[in-house]
Amino acid sequence: MKALQIVKYGEIKDSLSFNEVSKPAILTNDVLIEIKAAAINPIDKSIILGHLQAMIPIPFPRTIAYDVSGVVVEKGAEVSNLEIGDLVYARVPQEQMGTVAEYVAVTSTVVSRKPGNISFEEAASIPLAGLTALQSLEYAGIKANDKVLIHAGSGGVGSFAIQYAKAKGAYVYTTTSTANVAWVKALGADRVIDYKTEDYKTIVKDADIVFDTLGQNYALEAFEVIKQGGKVVSVVGPIDEETAKMFGMADYKLPEELSQLCSAKEATYKFIFMHPNGAHLEQIKSMIEEEIIKPIIDKVYPFTESIEAINHLASGRAKGKIVIKIS
Amino acid sequence: MEELIEKIKSSIHLSFKAEEYIRSISKVKIVAKGATLIRQGQPVNKIYFVTDGCLRSYCTDKNGKEHTLQLAIKNWWISDYIALHNNELATLTIESLKESTVIEFKAKQLEKMFTRFPEYESFQRRILERHVVSLHKRILNQLQLTAPERYDLFLTQYPDIEKYTRNYHIASFLGITQESLSRIRVEKAKK
Repeated sequence: MKALQIVKYGEIKDSLSFNEVSKPAILTNDVLIEIKAAAINPIDKSIILGHLQAMIPIPFPRTIAYDVSGVVVEKGAEVSNLEIGDLVYARVPQEQMGTVAEYVAVTSTVVSRKPGNISFEEAASIPLAGLTALQSLEYAGIKANDKVLIHAGSGGVGSFAIQYAKAKGAYVYTTTSTANVAWVKALGADRVIDYKTEDYKTIVKDADIVFDTLGQNYALEAFEVIKQGGKVVSVVGPIDEETAKMFGMADYKLPEELSQLCSAKEATYKFIFMHPNGAHLEQIKSMIEEEIIKPIIDKVYPFTESIEAINHLASGRAKGKIVIKIS
Repeated sequence: MEELIEKIKSSIHLSFKAEEYIRSISKVKIVAKGATLIRQGQPVNKIYFVTDGCLRSYCTDKNGKEHTLQLAIKNWWISDYIALHNNELATLTIESLKESTVIEFKAKQLEKMFTRFPEYESFQRRILERHVVSLHKRILNQLQLTAPERYDLFLTQYPDIEKYTRNYHIASFLGITQESLSRIRVEKAKK
């Protein structure tokens, strides 16, 4: 089968290659998905550039990407939640990475039937961003009337998080640039802050939750706008001690400054390490079928133009998700 | 099971032997909400009579979107007749929208009923006629009624169905978008 593979770390144009590889074999708990569409995410760019090689070492060559939608064409003997012919979507686990290809083998428990009211392309755009947003906001215990600040409302995670937080009845602040204000507002955000003309730190006060999707100083600045006892969740900031233990770093300590800010505000800081989860995708399926959440797609590329798709992602200018139509 | 036997008896004279045969080739099945009876792309050899609940048949297009063909409530028959007639793999998926009770028949055994008990054929013919009438009405409604009119008619034909269907099931049955359905509902609520 044809697959887009990472062959070395470095510049996108030098690191990717379309290769002919064998169809993956399934284990007893796996399903084999004939891929209809794949989506790419910022993590794919980071992997290609080698930024994550310490955490996620890639044996070359390796097919790229994690988000997939398609049809179940084979199932292992122990798979009970899916049938051959089911139309599905998933964020595949790290060890099964590789969705810009014709087939992928995936542990069935992280796979869900796709929402019936959206296309394969739309379904592929959901899993990684949707699971990240859901798991982050649920970890923070989001509830009705919470004041929530979601950074980068026009990104894949941000645009999903706004809709999810509104569905939970929260009051949503979000940051974005001038060009995106109107459509981000249309997602339901109560207060869209144009970071080019406004300082969010003077607008957001006493937030219950800050969801940091940007990194750099945003995790630290969150404590300026959070209420006493609030929660800061980040998918790009420093990792926390609990997460460090999960990765075998028993002696890791939260950076001093962050630790002091937590104490001063009696707040919690948590790095969210998204985990693939079929049950969470089932919840998202229902929300999409009820139109509580809508997929936001910037552009769909044909399989043959996958490298252009990744360059588009790397430009950082996408409004919503970038999808690759496989078949 | 008894409801079906009574229904047949109200339409034709059903001999004791024919009744026995029907009982021997059928089985009552409780279908959980969300369970699938027929799956698009898979072989089809069963026909179902709904005694309680609601089943939906739909076709998924090449882009992955579902189009609802039939919503079968109490006393309706449902299967993939395209696949059965043409001896093909299923064009449709049939799923249960709420816990339902169906009487399941193997299509081939039901067919044998016609040769062994010819009186049953007239009952089957009436079912088919009713089915054709329903389909013709559905096509004509699609051609000549406005979307709000189709929605009103739908609600009279399927009272209470909105309690257990998703919006997109109804929208895709009526051939409109979910946004249009929401608009129609808002307009209706204003009246």
